[in-house]
Amino acid sequence: MVPELRRACLEAALALLHAKPDMITVVGVADSTRPFDPDGELDVAAYAPALRSGRLRAGALVHGSNQTPAKAEALPLPLGLGSRLLDQAGYAGERLLYAVGERERPADCAALGGRLAAAGERAALLVMADGSARRGLKAPGYLDLRSAPFDAEVERAVRAGDMPGLLALDPELALELMATGRAAWQVLAGALAGRQAACEVRYCGDPFGVAYLVASLTPAELTGADG
Amino acid sequence: MTGPAEPRPQRELRLGRGTFPPEQPLLMGIVNRTPDSFFRPGVTWDETAAMERVHQVIAEGADIVDVGGIPAAPGAEVDVAEEIKRTAGFIAAVRASYPDVVISVDTWRHETGRAACEAGADLLNDSWGGYDERLAEVAAEYGAGLVCAHVGRQQPRTRPFRVAYADVMADVLDRIELLAARALAAGVPADRIVIDAAHDFGKNTWHSLEITRRLAEMTATGWPVLVSLSNKDFVGETLNLPPEQRLHGTLAATAVCAWHGARIFRVHQVTESRQVVDMVSAIRGDRPPARAVRGLA
Repeated sequence: MVPELRRACLEAALALLHAKPDMITVVGVADSTRPFDPDGELDVAAYAPALRSGRLRAGALVHGSNQTPAKAEALPLPLGLGSRLLDQAGYAGERLLYAVGERERPADCAALGGRLAAAGERAALLVMADGSARRGLKAPGYLDLRSAPFDAEVERAVRAGDMPGLLALDPELALELMATGRAAWQVLAGALAGRQAACEVRYCGDPFGVAYLVASLTPAELTGADG
Repeated sequence: MTGPAEPRPQRELRLGRGTFPPEQPLLMGIVNRTPDSFFRPGVTWDETAAMERVHQVIAEGADIVDVGGIPAAPGAEVDVAEEIKRTAGFIAAVRASYPDVVISVDTWRHETGRAACEAGADLLNDSWGGYDERLAEVAAEYGAGLVCAHVGRQQPRTRPFRVAYADVMADVLDRIELLAARALAAGVPADRIVIDAAHDFGKNTWHSLEITRRLAEMTATGWPVLVSLSNKDFVGETLNLPPEQRLHGTLAATAVCAWHGARIFRVHQVTESRQVVDMVSAIRGDRPPARAVRGLA
């Protein structure tokens, strides 16, 4: 399934590691804004019951355990996948897993981003966020003609390092368009507030009717720095 | 919530004027009154073609004719008036041709259910799982049967999106027990209630495979189990085949469900499905072979 997307995600994670952060926070949207246990795991069997037995390995879930987590609380999907991606990239340093609530207002998302940017001397964010799921007749959310311009604006803002542009995304519209990553992008916008950032887009497409964007943003003061 | 400690036995099912014992698998032939049905799109849109299809499924051995006016997939809106226009008159025509066949209407709306029952429908096939709570009342009012289906939290005509269940079968059992209790409270007789795990509704392919694997937990409730597997996407994704090539996968899933004790099979291809369920019945010991002379003469 879309190997170029998988590769892009891994390369983005590797790029994060290459910058030698002292803290990586995985950010993703969930029911409410709160941290999760950094050792937490995804309950893969909730999405794919046959993987619980451990006899099968499949797709994106090849790396890591597919047993029902021993800890009481399973991770929300974006945090679980982000954490697995860090494992796949070989990250052994400190990590935080932070969920932002899907209804969190842009200013509050940005404030959280500001706090997470200060989580270490060289803090990094792995933001797990998808665009609209209403991009075509076969899309999970069918077709909404407003999806294409909405996602195009997200892409433009990311490419340009335009953080105010991300903060201007309308939460209600994002909800209607099933653009589940809105609040997470606005956390990112807060983390990079007031800073220039160079952007490398590694993937931008909608093979299944859901908009996927994979990009690395590096604050300008870090480009050319050690590490 | 845990399931019952002891499996409850299957009992007689009454549909229309018929009474059906647990050992008799029933075939429900699908007749879509929609121009955009996913399987052979448009075949039964024309009223004459649709009636020909009814003749065909009954000749092939269907016990029930299931008439639906709205596709399950998202698409152009079909309002109540249009849905009734597509189904009620047609049901009356089927009833006129076949006074005794069991007719079900595939709808989630109580208004459509009412119009269908007025026209002679015997069973309300509520494939969107109790979205309209008044449908059970209509079933009770007309003495019709009711299918209680689990669709997760899906709204009608939407697709599942990243659905997760700590235990999908436990969720299915909880929901259908609730719907069955609601139906009983509304006055639907217990021997006219049917349950359906609704493969692919609010479930991804892994979930649909799991409920198939664990279907015995549904038959253990004692409620008659209906399965609607025909050419569904979980078959297509499992085998990587388009809708028109999913017959063998459908029949494999049919055999497994029949083995687990499902009693009603909602199908496009009646002849093939009849052979499969009859074969499984014989394997289960529920029916004798048609003839057994070889080695016994």
